[in-house]
Amino acid sequence: MAEREAQEYFQWTAALFDRARVFDKPEALRGIRVLELTTLVLGPTTADFLGELGAEVIKVELPPGGDTMRYVTPEATYWKNASLGFYPENHSKCHVGIDLHAEDGKALFRQLASRSDILVENFRAGTLDTWGIGYRQMQQGNPRLIYVADSGFGQWGPFSQGRASYDAVAQTVSGTIAITGFTGRPPILCGIFIGDWFGGLMAATAALVALHHRDRTGEGQLIDFAQSEGLIRTLDWTWVRLGLTGRDRGPAGNRDEALVPAEIFPCRDGYVAVAAARDAEFTGLCQAMGEPALASDPRFATLPARQKPEHMNPLLDTIRAWAGTLARAEIEAAGARHGFAATRVATARDKHDDAHLRARGSVWQYEDPLYGEMVEQGPAVKLSETPARIKWAAKPVGWHNHDVLMRLLGLSPSHIKDLEERKVVGQWADRNGARPPADWSGGPRI
Amino acid sequence: MSDSPPASDGRHGVPWPQFAKDLSDPAKAHDKPEALDDLRVLDVSSGNFAALFTSSILAEFGAEVIRVEPPTGDVARLYSPEGVTHRGTGLAYLVEARNKRHVTLNLHTEQGRLLLVRLARHVDVLIESELPGQMDAWGIGYRQLSVLNPGLIYLAVSTHGQFGPRAAQVMPDYDITDQALSGVPYVTGEPEGEGPAESSAPTKQGNWIGWYVGGGFGALSVLAALHWRVVSGRGQFLDLTPSEAEMRFSDAGVIWYHAAQRIQERVGGLHIQVFPYTLIKTKDSYSFVAGFSDINFTGLTNIMGRPDLKERFATTKDRILKARELHQELERWSADLTAEDILHRFQDYMVHKRGPGTVATARLNRPEEVLAEPHWWERGVLQKVDDPDYGELLLQAPPWKMSRTPPRIKWACRPVGADNEHIYLKLLGLGKGDLQALRTAGVI
Repeated sequence: MAEREAQEYFQWTAALFDRARVFDKPEALRGIRVLELTTLVLGPTTADFLGELGAEVIKVELPPGGDTMRYVTPEATYWKNASLGFYPENHSKCHVGIDLHAEDGKALFRQLASRSDILVENFRAGTLDTWGIGYRQMQQGNPRLIYVADSGFGQWGPFSQGRASYDAVAQTVSGTIAITGFTGRPPILCGIFIGDWFGGLMAATAALVALHHRDRTGEGQLIDFAQSEGLIRTLDWTWVRLGLTGRDRGPAGNRDEALVPAEIFPCRDGYVAVAAARDAEFTGLCQAMGEPALASDPRFATLPARQKPEHMNPLLDTIRAWAGTLARAEIEAAGARHGFAATRVATARDKHDDAHLRARGSVWQYEDPLYGEMVEQGPAVKLSETPARIKWAAKPVGWHNHDVLMRLLGLSPSHIKDLEERKVVGQWADRNGARPPADWSGGPRI
Repeated sequence: MSDSPPASDGRHGVPWPQFAKDLSDPAKAHDKPEALDDLRVLDVSSGNFAALFTSSILAEFGAEVIRVEPPTGDVARLYSPEGVTHRGTGLAYLVEARNKRHVTLNLHTEQGRLLLVRLARHVDVLIESELPGQMDAWGIGYRQLSVLNPGLIYLAVSTHGQFGPRAAQVMPDYDITDQALSGVPYVTGEPEGEGPAESSAPTKQGNWIGWYVGGGFGALSVLAALHWRVVSGRGQFLDLTPSEAEMRFSDAGVIWYHAAQRIQERVGGLHIQVFPYTLIKTKDSYSFVAGFSDINFTGLTNIMGRPDLKERFATTKDRILKARELHQELERWSADLTAEDILHRFQDYMVHKRGPGTVATARLNRPEEVLAEPHWWERGVLQKVDDPDYGELLLQAPPWKMSRTPPRIKWACRPVGADNEHIYLKLLGLGKGDLQALRTAGVI
C-alpha cells in the first residue's frame, strides 16, 4: 500500500468515525423500547448492549434494595455511595422501582410491557409465569413482544428446575475451566464474569434477529437463552475433536494449540502475546529475533510443520528466550516493523491511559449529571452512520419513577404519590449501592 | 401460525417447562421459518475466527452466506491442534463453516477484484479481515463498494481498528493478541509467587474467547445496522476489533482505576467482588460453590452445618478480604465429599426449601464429562451432524431456543470452491466455460 494512499484512507476513516461527531448522528435502535427486569450481569448486559445502540431501556427493580449487583463491587468498596460493579452493565437506563409482589405492581409492569418491544428477564425458569407476568400472559396483551428469558440452564430440561446458576457455574459446567490454565495447578476462574457478558451479547443478538423477523411479519416471539450453552458454543474445536478422535481436551497454559507460534511470554517489564501463524509473518518474527534461518528450517517453514508438538516446543522456547530480554514496547515495535502480531497484556491502567482507546471511544470519558467525570469501557463496535454511545451512568433505585410513570403510563403526580404510599412504587434504601451520593441535595433527576 | 393457544384449549394449565419446550424445542426447528432468509452475506475474511463466527451466526439464522476463499483455501482451514486434518480441513474450520456456500476468488489479481465488485452488488453484508486500508487500496473497500451498493453493510475486523493513533500499525488479528489487549488475561490466573513462575502469570482462556466475543459483536452490529437499513434504506461501515469487544467485558476494570487508581490483580480461584464464589477441591474432583450475599451465605453455612462461620465472616467485606481463610474452611468441609454429594446437598436444600438463601454448585466438568450429561442432549446443545462431504461431526449447536424463527445447522462444511458453479452462475451468469477460463488464469 502506497504511503500517501494509506494516509488518505486513515484521514477519511478519522472523519467518518470521529468520536466528537457521535451525538450528531442517529441511533440504529431509536424508537425500540426494552423493558428490563433483571439482576446481576447476564440480564443487565442483554439490555445494555441494546441501549448502547439506541434502544430506550426501562430497568425495573424491586425497591428499596434493587438489583443485587448494586452490592457487588471490588473488595466491597463503594464510590460516591454506588457499586463500581453496577456501572459497566447499566448505562443510559431509566430506573424504576416497582414491587412486583403487589397486584398493583404487576398491573403497572403489564402496562409497561404492553408498550415495549423487547422484554428481558433472568429469573429462574417459570418464576414470572407463576407471578402472572411471564411470556404466556404478556404476549396476549402484546403479540409483537420479543420476550428474552435469560437463565443458567434454560426454561426446560433436567437442569432447568430448582438449580441456581451464576456466571462461574456456566464456566464450570461448560468445560471452559477444564481447558484453561496450567496442568497440575488448581483450576482458576476467568477474572471477569465471562459467561454473563458473553451470554448478554448472545441474548441481545437473538433479540435483534427476532426484531428483523418482526420488521418483516409483525410477530414477536420467545427467546430461551442459557448462559452455559453460550459458553459451550465458544469452545471452538473441542467438541469436533472429541467426536472424531475421542480425545479430550485439557489445559494448555498460555499457548494456542492450533496456531503456531502463539503464546503469552514474560518479558522485562510485564507480559506480551506474540502470534505469527502465516508463513510471511513467521519469517518477519525470525528476522526480528535475529534468527532468519529458522524461517526456512524444514521443522518450522510451514504452519503444518510448526504445529507438530516436537517442533512447536523448541520454537516457543526460542521465542520465550528472546522476549525475556526485551521490554513490552520493544516487542510491540518489532511486530509492527516485521509484520507479526505482538502486544502487551494490558492492565487496567494501560487501558485507562491509552490515547488510542480514548480516541476510539472504547474507553469512554463523559460527564454524568450525578457522578461527575466518568471513565469506563465504551461501546465495542464503531458504526459509521449510527454510532453506539453512553449517555449517562447508572442511577439509584427508582430514580426515574416519575419520569417513566408520567411519560409512558400517563399517571398523575397524585396517583404516583398514592402508589408510593402503598409501597407499590418505591425508591432507594438508605444504604450504599442503592442511594445517591452523599453530596446530592435533591434537584432534577436527569 | 400462532404461538399462543386460545385460553379455552386448556393448555394454560400446562406447566411452564412443558409449555416452553413445546414452543422452542430445536428438534422442531426445521419446520419453522428462518429470520434472516432475506439476507445475503459475502464473507471474504482470511484466517479469522471472529469474522467466521459472525457469518456462522447469520448463517444459523438463515442468511445465505458465501465464503470467499483464495484458490488454495483459507489459511483458517489449517488452524488445528497438532495440525490434525479431517478430509483435508483442520478441526476448527469444520466448526465455523456451517450452512455456508464456498467459492474461490483470488483478490490478489485485478480480475479477481473486478469479480468481487460485481458480487458485492448482490449482497447485503460484506465481512473482511484484511489489514485496515488494504481493501480500500485494492479498490474494493467500503468507499468504493458503497457507491455501487448504498445499502451495503460492511464489517471490517482488525485488532486496532480502522481509525485512531494505532490504526495504521501493521498487526495481523489473532485471538491471543486480542485476549492480551482486552486485559482479561491480566486478571486471570494465579498471582505471582503462588506456584511455579510459569503458571503464576496472566493466563489466557484456553479457547478462542477473544475471537468468539468479537464475532458475537460482529453479528450484533450487523443486525443493528440491518434494522437501521429497514428504517432508513442506508447501509454503513462497521469497524470491529475483537480486542475492544472483549475489553468491553472487563467488569469494573477501568472504572475502578478511574475511581480509586486501583489496578485489578489476579486472585486465582478466588474472587474480588463476591465470596464464596469459588472452586473447591472435593474427594473426586473440584466443585464450584457460591453463596456470597448475607442470606445466601447463611444458606451455605446451613448446608455445611457450620453456623459459626456466619459469625466469623459476617459481612460481604469480611468474606472478600478473608477469602483465603474462608476458602480453607470450605475445603475442609468438601475434602470427604464428592462433587455429586455436594450437588445433592445443595439441591435438597433448594428444592425442599430447608432454609433461607439461594446456593449454587457445579462439578468441574472436563469436556468429555460434559458430553455425558443428558441435559445438553435433550436441549440440542450438542449435535451430531451428518454432513454430505465430511461425514458425521459432533458440533456445538446454535445456543438459542426460539419459538418462531429458531436457528439451525443444515450442513457443516463444504470443500474449497465447491459452490463455484452454483454461485457464479446464479449471481453473475457465468457458465462452465467462463469458469474454466478464470480457473486457468488463477482467478478462481
